Amino acid sequence: MISLEQRIGYLPLNNRPRIKWPHDARVAFWVVPNVEFYEYLPPPTPRQARHFDSPVFPAPDIQGNIRRDYGNRVGFWRMAKVLDQYRIRCTVNINLAVLERFPEERDAMVERNWDFCCHAMYNSRDEPKGLSVEAQRAFVRECIASLKRTTGKQLKGFNVLSRATVELPDILAEQGLIYHADYLHDDQPTPIRVNKGKLVSIPYAGETNDSPITSRNRAWESDYLFEMVKDAFDRLYAEGADNGMVLCLALHPWCSGYPYRINYLERILDYVMSHDKVWQATADDIAEYYIANYYDEAVAHMDKLASRQPPTARLQR
Amino acid sequence: MPDQLKYGMDHEYWDWSPIVKRPVLQWPNGARLAVCLLVDLGHYEWKPPEGAFDPPTHTPPHSLNPYPDYVTVTFREYGHRVGIFRIMEVLDKYQVKATVPMDAYTADNYPSLVLECQSRGWEIIGHGLTQRQAITSLMSEAEERQYIRLSIDAVSRATGKPPAGWLGPEHSQSTRTPNILAEMGINYCCDFPNDEQPYRVMTASGELYALPCMIEIGDTVGHFNRKVTIQRWVQMVKETFDVMYQDAKESGLLLEFRLHPWCIGQPYRIKYLDEIIAHMAHRHGVWMATGSEIVDWYRKQPHASFKPQLPPATA
Repeated sequence: MISLEQRIGYLPLNNRPRIKWPHDARVAFWVVPNVEFYEYLPPPTPRQARHFDSPVFPAPDIQGNIRRDYGNRVGFWRMAKVLDQYRIRCTVNINLAVLERFPEERDAMVERNWDFCCHAMYNSRDEPKGLSVEAQRAFVRECIASLKRTTGKQLKGFNVLSRATVELPDILAEQGLIYHADYLHDDQPTPIRVNKGKLVSIPYAGETNDSPITSRNRAWESDYLFEMVKDAFDRLYAEGADNGMVLCLALHPWCSGYPYRINYLERILDYVMSHDKVWQATADDIAEYYIANYYDEAVAHMDKLASRQPPTARLQR
Repeated sequence: MPDQLKYGMDHEYWDWSPIVKRPVLQWPNGARLAVCLLVDLGHYEWKPPEGAFDPPTHTPPHSLNPYPDYVTVTFREYGHRVGIFRIMEVLDKYQVKATVPMDAYTADNYPSLVLECQSRGWEIIGHGLTQRQAITSLMSEAEERQYIRLSIDAVSRATGKPPAGWLGPEHSQSTRTPNILAEMGINYCCDFPNDEQPYRVMTASGELYALPCMIEIGDTVGHFNRKVTIQRWVQMVKETFDVMYQDAKESGLLLEFRLHPWCIGQPYRIKYLDEIIAHMAHRHGVWMATGSEIVDWYRKQPHASFKPQLPPATA
């Protein structure tokens, strides 16, 4: 199997093919609401024990899981209004159970012609982590079928972050998916090596993301998120003049849909969308464009760099 | 997996109901926004009894002091001795009544605090046995029934009447809790942090309403635990109020949040409570109310009996 090191290879920013976005845009801006389903009684998983910053109670976990229910009942609708104001076409990180269970919310996303990235069935489970390779294949197939059944759309990518497995990239590519958004290693799309087919990393946001601010480890609020996104955007917009960059804004309805945070989302969108060289795209758009124009060149370049054998420093035992 | 999925929630306690698909909610006298302050009087004991579930918010890594934890326990006791009186002074100034979740230990051992609350027309509601003994699915049903019975009885003894409302220690519940609360005569529960309007909770045994709590702007969740500065926290609370006040033009909303005397009652924080209450009270269209005032009005509104209709499932 391809090792994790080989999957992403090494492609330094100063030594790689330059990207030109459509219409001379400098920054491809993808906006990712995480629309999630937290179960009332999730099956116990090792993942639950690891939460330091949101303490976990035995199910039903009112402070953890039921609090997220706010996103679907209230936050989503407040957020959608603001996204509409700026005509944002979102890429929804979707827990497919939302599409299966909450038809009004599903219809609201389909009507807006948003794209969907698979965020697993439930946010309260570990899958696909912990599954055998065969079970992972079945899992990915089920996710593709679920999106098709509920929205008529073809699934193109996956974002499951800490739930991703070693084998997942190969499985995604072999089932026809084109992107994987679980990497925080770059500000541009990059190839991910897979056994068969082509798979692109679309950079996701670890910090230009609203949910870390609700954690006990982060003593800041949405005004600082605005500053952070603005600074990131300014820098990428400058760099993007001769090499197109990607900015991801990750959102959560239970977080940015909260009354005191919504105005900061509006400020962020207002700032970014007031620039004319922004390509507001979905992950599907970005991945397709990258595969059509840069993928092969980038892989060839990565191979060339990798062909220089580094000396190995290894401890003798 | 998907073949088990169906429309709606994965439990029976409440309906799936997006806020934009509900009837208009009217508050009395044409008010837009109901505001309910939960002023917690919960006791932190030195050592919870063997087998008790000490909430993970109090155990490592959230509090690292081994027994006896002088720092945490005495810091909480400060609320009952000092902090509560500063809160009373502020709320008296604006003639606002609080709703007080009071645990059994406080009800039994601090009769003068009960009188202080009652003399102001504040409402006292159930809040468990102590804050270091939470409700959990790990309890047996008999144990949980006894726990809730004892909590309710202690408040009844102290106040002369059974409490109408409930907030579990750290919002804790088992899968049985709403049923048991309703069966024991509780009308409303503040545990659920998932909405900005009240809603009916379906129980096996009686009429129970959720008065959802805006958990993220509480003084401990929003400021103390997260180390967000007090000034920023004040701004968060005011922003919450302003946005909800605006949104409530179309349909009534509920802003309910928690205050802890040991936290907001500190001399370096109390003026910020004054600032918050000054921002909210005596505003046109704002109804500062207790939990029972809200639920007594709410239960007679069409909103309370609205049954969301799920669209037919697609093939």
